[in-house]
Amino acid sequence: MAQPVFPIALCALLLLSACSPPPKISRQTHPLPAGVDIARSEIGRSGGVFIDSSPGEPSTFNPLVSEDATSGGFIGLFLDSLVHNNAVTQEVEPGLAARWDIAPDNRTFTFHLRPGVLWSDGHPFSADDVVFTFQAIYDPRFPNRAAFDLSVDGQKFKVEKIDDLTVRLTTPQIYAPFLETVGGVGLLPKHELEPAFRDGTLLKSWNVSVAQKEPQRLLATGAFRLRSYQPAERIVFEANPHYWRADAKGVRLPYVDFLVTKLVKDANASTLAFATGQTDAEGLSPDNVAWIDRYASRYGFSVFNRGPSPNTGFIWFNQNPGHDTAGKPFVTPYKLAWFTDRRFRQAISHGIDRQGLVRGVLFGRGQPLWGPETPANKKWYNPNVTQYPYNPARSRALLAEAGFQIGPDQKLHDRQGNLVEFTLNSNQENQLRVNMATAFKENMRDLGITVNLSFLDFGTLVGKIQDSYDYEAGMLGLTGGGDPAGGISVFSSKGRLHQWYPNQKTPATPWEARIDQLMSDQLHTLDYPTRKKYFDEVQKIMSDETPYIYLVTANAYVGLKDRWKNIRIPPLGSLVWNLDELWTPLLTP
Amino acid sequence: MAADLLRSLLRRPAGMISACLLLLLYGAAILAPFLSPTIPSAQDLSRTYHPPTALVWQNGHLSVRLYRLVDPSTATYEPLPDQAAPLRWFSHGPAYKFFWLIPSTRHLFTVSSPATIYLLGSDATGRDVFTRLLYGAGISLSIGLIGVALTSFLGLTIGGLAGYLGGWPDTLAMRLTEFLMAVPGLYLLLALRAALSSRFPSDATFLLIVVILSALGWAGTARVVRGLVLSLRERPFILAANVIGQRPWTILFRHLLPNTFSYLIVAATLSVPGYILGEAALSFLGLGIQEPSSSWGLMLGQAQDIKIFMLNFWWLLTPGLAIILTVIAFNLLGDALRDAVDPRFRLPGK
Amino acid sequence: MIPFILRRLTTLVPMLLAVTLLVFILMSLAPGDFLTPVKAQRDINPALIAELQKSFGLDRPWYQQYALWLGNVLHLDFGYSWTYKVPVAQLIAQRAPATILLSITSLLLAWTLAIPLAVLAAARPGGWIDRLTSATAYFALAIPEFFLALLAVWMAARTGWFPIGGLTSLDHDFLSPAAQFLDIAHHLILPTLVLGLGGVAGTLRVLRANVLDVLQAEYITAARAKGLSEKVVLFRHVLRNALNPLLSTIGYAFAGLLSGSLLVENVMNYPGLGRLVYEAFIREDQFVVLGSVVVACSLLIVGNLLSDLALAWSDPRVRYGR
Repeated sequence: MAQPVFPIALCALLLLSACSPPPKISRQTHPLPAGVDIARSEIGRSGGVFIDSSPGEPSTFNPLVSEDATSGGFIGLFLDSLVHNNAVTQEVEPGLAARWDIAPDNRTFTFHLRPGVLWSDGHPFSADDVVFTFQAIYDPRFPNRAAFDLSVDGQKFKVEKIDDLTVRLTTPQIYAPFLETVGGVGLLPKHELEPAFRDGTLLKSWNVSVAQKEPQRLLATGAFRLRSYQPAERIVFEANPHYWRADAKGVRLPYVDFLVTKLVKDANASTLAFATGQTDAEGLSPDNVAWIDRYASRYGFSVFNRGPSPNTGFIWFNQNPGHDTAGKPFVTPYKLAWFTDRRFRQAISHGIDRQGLVRGVLFGRGQPLWGPETPANKKWYNPNVTQYPYNPARSRALLAEAGFQIGPDQKLHDRQGNLVEFTLNSNQENQLRVNMATAFKENMRDLGITVNLSFLDFGTLVGKIQDSYDYEAGMLGLTGGGDPAGGISVFSSKGRLHQWYPNQKTPATPWEARIDQLMSDQLHTLDYPTRKKYFDEVQKIMSDETPYIYLVTANAYVGLKDRWKNIRIPPLGSLVWNLDELWTPLLTP
Repeated sequence: MAADLLRSLLRRPAGMISACLLLLLYGAAILAPFLSPTIPSAQDLSRTYHPPTALVWQNGHLSVRLYRLVDPSTATYEPLPDQAAPLRWFSHGPAYKFFWLIPSTRHLFTVSSPATIYLLGSDATGRDVFTRLLYGAGISLSIGLIGVALTSFLGLTIGGLAGYLGGWPDTLAMRLTEFLMAVPGLYLLLALRAALSSRFPSDATFLLIVVILSALGWAGTARVVRGLVLSLRERPFILAANVIGQRPWTILFRHLLPNTFSYLIVAATLSVPGYILGEAALSFLGLGIQEPSSSWGLMLGQAQDIKIFMLNFWWLLTPGLAIILTVIAFNLLGDALRDAVDPRFRLPGK
Repeated sequence: MIPFILRRLTTLVPMLLAVTLLVFILMSLAPGDFLTPVKAQRDINPALIAELQKSFGLDRPWYQQYALWLGNVLHLDFGYSWTYKVPVAQLIAQRAPATILLSITSLLLAWTLAIPLAVLAAARPGGWIDRLTSATAYFALAIPEFFLALLAVWMAARTGWFPIGGLTSLDHDFLSPAAQFLDIAHHLILPTLVLGLGGVAGTLRVLRANVLDVLQAEYITAARAKGLSEKVVLFRHVLRNALNPLLSTIGYAFAGLLSGSLLVENVMNYPGLGRLVYEAFIREDQFVVLGSVVVACSLLIVGNLLSDLALAWSDPRVRYGR
């Protein structure tokens, strides 16, 4: 009967071991490269461990395979690109290319690489790596996402090595988001991956198994290199001893020794880890800010408001006039008549109490949304779109104008006497969306409209929207932000995500034809004011015609431990933009 | 026989108490629309995450305290001093249908607008948690009963036939049960739910879950019934029935199966918790009952949300406690029934 | 005995075939597939989706996919995970140790708590220990595991006494071996308690009944008559005989290894197989699901076999029958 003593002794020992000293590491000192980039930020002190958490596991460390944001984020830490898209300023900045020239034809870009940059194994980085990367991306043996991003109408870019430090890229036509796209391409080490490229196993290299067993093979040009990966537990990155940036005193960046990411199962667990002081940074949703503040002083963190998030939420009606193989129309014809009537959609929009949603569901931390871009996308957001403030009287007037009337049963009927009733489909995984849908149902009841809610698995929902089209109304969200080019599949009538009526052969309405024209025009000029003018009009048309009835956009927040200095928090994207410049005077957490 | 069983059951305190408790729970579930002050879908976006309203005695009436939203950004409410609204008994409120048939607007208690009563607080869209708990009881509790009824029916029929007929039907039935018992249940549940969900409208999820749970659950019952029938088959009264030339079906349904009933009642009572817990687990994973319906499992699943976790812990406790109470009551009742049915199980010293 | 084992093991093959086929059909009936979420991303080219579909074999009818998989399994290749791009066997082997560790600790907990309590309870039926333990057992058996897990997470979050989820601390790599051991132990406490509680209650009830049975036996009366102290009678003679049937629980624990802790692992953020399997189901990562079904099913059959063997070994009255 000696067993019970064991756990007690264990607990006692644990309390002792809890105060373990922080890890000591000695930085290898390599000379700075000739093309070193000097950071303009405040001068800090080396050392420290930055801890964050990720709700989701990386599925790979190979940029050619990565399809998800989680993997992409980790890859971005160690693989650098020619240029950077600065998320704070939304401008393109030098990366591994110190500068670039654009030829007068607006199609030829010459990149001048930083001299003296080394991979984390000490091998020099050169134009060969750039050419190799594009070769790998364009190779049909390795189907990957970047191959499509880096082509215009199916035509590839031309990539030429001029000398060891100069590369020339030529686009087949003028391609507006060229620099932004190139900014997303992590450059691969030719000397490490060429064998795999030759024998056709490139997509299998740098998988999670390799990361776990031979992390040093994942060569880095970025601020960090992989130190260890423990599935479902954590990923540890360490400072890349050959990183090409330094501070004004010539101290090599990054300041922090280690970047530890705790892998947790979902966003809840991630937020909980931060709220209990385990991690240094966390993206927070508005409803969580409501309670997390009370732990701020206990664990020494602050919550920063990033302003509106780039995420949009919207409701739309299925306007697809087609029918299935059995000849049955996707949408009952009399309902299709409502859905394609702009006044009906506008009436619905006026009937939604967005302020109430913001106040109730988002704790007042958000704002109504009227168009496809949120104010987060500073560079492209159009504030002058048509707004539909909560106004049931206006809704009723619009409905009456369109021939709807309230029957003796206090319910709305159309001109033919059909009861106005539809089913709204949404996915059940998102609690905030579920709350919005139930609130929408109540709003519509005030107008005499019966809304049935159907919450489906995401897979089922996408199947309905994109394959079988047998639904009446849907509610989803899209992550906006970034370049308008990313929205082509949504706005253009040929688009796959043009959800109210996707994959149209010819535009169904004049305004859709106009949007198609604008989206195509903006893609083929490099001039920002012109592009902005085109995209502003797209946003305006979207709000006038309301194929998507936009709901609200929540503010985004970042919680960050107070001990970190040099913080630059971008309005969208990663929590901290300048991880390499981050430093702390307090080395122990 | 049933009367004897009931009498001997009620003589045991545990059996008595648990039977009463279950009556109370099922009564509450059936009368949910009447007992709750509102309907489960009624929202109030200006009163989200409302704390439970305190009840006070004021001016000779049981009254509910009024609250003011101090800070919408953190959902902080504070009670208004000396302000309360009296409860109105048997008053009119939101319309509902009793047993899905009889329309009514009468509720046991309501408060007059703009005051609201949230005995257990409100949720993310200002719906009354107490109301949802009561309505949820209907789903959570009936799943147990319907499921057990289905399982018992399947088990009795298949097991009885297998045992009585013998030969290839027996072999077939037993291979099938072995198969079902060797399949990792949770996996099959996950796969079945994924495969079937899109083929049914949301409202039918409830039935779907019952059917899935029963389809996986009948194997055990069938095997035991078969065993019982096999042993009964050799008893003199069955042999006698055979001798006087009664038809096989008559023998099976008149003589054999009724003799397994006492076992079945005990087994059924003891297996109800399995269904309640099964529904709770499925809904908890988001694979069961769906909004805007409510069930205890769904409410627990929503309580996983970290915000509710840290802000409103009572939300989490109430459906959990309800499940625990129900399961304990069924287990106690089952044990008491078993003691009553089969005194050999009675423990010495008691 | 050998023919008995062989006979039982040969049932494994048709069983595995039937179960995997069933799961495969169900998965192909389910709406959408692994690529559905990819399709919903706004900047992905349809041509790439088509390429991926082809490379995953998702463009073929389900029976062809199943036949292909079966063919590969004959060569002991269980396919690879579409999510992680590594072989399924490797993935399962990577996550299994954590789950096995948790099973062992919770089984140990169940035994170390239940054995003494059951003996004490049965020694004086109706006494306060008996009443208390049986009341607690009723309660413990009624709490849904996931609810208990939620409570544990909440407790850990509020008090900070225990880590929330995981098996190791963030600084685990930098700790000394002894500290690493303690670190893991610290992380195991809560999941073990949550998963073990039901086991404690179950074992307690079975064991108490067994002890009571044995107490009626004549040789116990004889032992008492010899004048042995009650303690010696209880722990030396009664317990030894009452424990035998419990041996079989090891086999059952083995059988439930994979599905037993799925919910708890998911709620408590424990890095075991349960999380992997659940995620695979949700994402419809076909080969991981099939692989885990094969493992779970084999464990179930082998585990039941082991408990039957243990039972036969401990009780000569049980013979290897059909």
